[in-house]
Amino acid sequence: MLDLAAALKQVRQGMIPAHIYADPDIFALERDRLFTRSWVFLAHESEIPDPGDYVVRRVLADSFIVARDESGVVRVMFNMCLHRGMQVCRAEMGNASHFRCPYHAWTYRNDGRLAGLPFHEEAYGGEDGFSRLGQSLLPAPSMDVYNGLIFVSLDPDAPALRDYLGDFAFYLDFYTRQSPAGVELRGPQRWRIKANWKIGAENFAGDSYHTPHTHASVVDIGLFREPKASKRKEGALYIAGPGAGTTYKLPPGGDFAGQLRHVGYPDAMIPAMAASWSDGQRALVADSGFMVSAATVFPNLSLVHNWPQIDASGTVAPFISLRQWQPVSARETEVLSWFAVDAAAPEEFKRNSYQAYLMCFGISGMFEQDDVENWVSITDMAAGSMARRLNLNSRMGLTSAGQPIKPPLAAFAGPGLAYQGFGEFNQRHWLSLWSDHLEREPAVPATVDLGGAR
Amino acid sequence: MTASQPLPYGDPAHLAAHQFLDEEAALLDAADYAGWLSLLCEDIRYVMPVRVTTARGADFDSLADMGHFDENMYALRKRVQRLATDHAWTEDPPSRTRHFVTNVRTFRHRTSELRVESSLLLFRSRGDTREPDLISAGRTDLLRETGDGLRLARREILVDESVLRTQNLAVFL
Repeated sequence: MLDLAAALKQVRQGMIPAHIYADPDIFALERDRLFTRSWVFLAHESEIPDPGDYVVRRVLADSFIVARDESGVVRVMFNMCLHRGMQVCRAEMGNASHFRCPYHAWTYRNDGRLAGLPFHEEAYGGEDGFSRLGQSLLPAPSMDVYNGLIFVSLDPDAPALRDYLGDFAFYLDFYTRQSPAGVELRGPQRWRIKANWKIGAENFAGDSYHTPHTHASVVDIGLFREPKASKRKEGALYIAGPGAGTTYKLPPGGDFAGQLRHVGYPDAMIPAMAASWSDGQRALVADSGFMVSAATVFPNLSLVHNWPQIDASGTVAPFISLRQWQPVSARETEVLSWFAVDAAAPEEFKRNSYQAYLMCFGISGMFEQDDVENWVSITDMAAGSMARRLNLNSRMGLTSAGQPIKPPLAAFAGPGLAYQGFGEFNQRHWLSLWSDHLEREPAVPATVDLGGAR
Repeated sequence: MTASQPLPYGDPAHLAAHQFLDEEAALLDAADYAGWLSLLCEDIRYVMPVRVTTARGADFDSLADMGHFDENMYALRKRVQRLATDHAWTEDPPSRTRHFVTNVRTFRHRTSELRVESSLLLFRSRGDTREPDLISAGRTDLLRETGDGLRLARREILVDESVLRTQNLAVFL
């Protein structure tokens, strides 16, 4: 029997009831109270560059068509026929001017408008029986875009996405706006893991403490040297708006261009990065000397930026990945992992960066392989009775009185709060947002009137 | 000059190709990755495109620019080196795998190369509480005749799922 208030009280004190990582009751609350309200990432505009391009993506069980209509406007539509509820589009990507339901041939334009249904006159008596005019596949209750990233919320009263992202937008730009051209996404690789979705989100938000041990093998083989503990603990953790992330400390004394060269960006890309980022963003790199690595935007979009060595001659190539932890059940998650690269980058850089991504992250990535092994194991252990007796200690970085063991970083050019060294500040931040959602009553959505009896 | 007809099953070139694939599978199932690497050409390309669900008329069902694997020899060596460290947790304890190789068809490609198509079913079991994983795929290989026998010069793995049901690809196909 779930005592939610007691569980959340523990969570807010940095103690995590272990069962939340495998509990179907918790999962139902997440579905009804969190994913019915929060902004959730669906796709990037670069995945649908031309009119008619579409991808089909989900928010838990809800399938949405994300399409660029004939006038170039991005639309997000619930993928359910208004008539008998078929999934209108059963492909996951393509190009189409219309979507025709296979059941009774109701047909929708790629902006969602109902364009035709067979025998309107004979079957319905025309407009009187069913008013075809103005009918449309249900649009996502809220849809908004930042740096080409398309988000939806099932809450029609969701705040503007930019307001939601708040100070995290500062950090998101490092991953998704390296030039005026923005990023292009490739993929995603998709696979299912028998792990609770929260574990990956928390890990990317701030677990710099796992890197030296979980990822020891990538240091052993000279793929990426930064994760070793002596370097990792020099990095800063930051919390900003609904996001949080980790950074690596750059070598002392470098200027902006030098630091970008250090992580493998070619000279051809650096002027556009300088021009696309604000004084503060440049200062985080040049003056504070930190480079972003992993991060999570609450609830389930994570990002990563690392710079491994990709060949025997020592070429260092940075890569960016976006990934989504798509909940399937309390004990299963679909991972969607995209490779992202500046659209204006030289082709040689794109090739190298793609190779760097594949070697490190995604289903075959030499980092991610070991992460998922851990997360599956946690989920497995969290499912039993004993896990209900155990509150996991997630208080790293705090004294027993709840004070940080060292003060926040003063010399950190980014917004929000930053700490240098190991700590679970970011995971606690993520879990406090999670708790806020779970404490709210479930949303009661209004039904949509398609025109019934009058 | 790619022949459109497969070689007869009795053709020595087909028999050699089929035996190569079986021997390779035995090395992989024995986790003899150093032995496996020795079967690869230095200019190997080892690719596994992401498979996608598209409409019948869409003229593509895999992604041209994104793979689950897209490897050269350097990357494959690194993967094998990693598995040999004491810190490759995902394969320690190791998976129990069985590579079932069937439907082998051999085509004369160039004078010194064979194109070999095969079906692969990989069974993977980990631990004692989890359901085992299956990965079904078609493979198109280029086998090159060298002084040391046949060697793998190119492999394209066409996986039969758009969403893979295995926790990672810490295994080779």
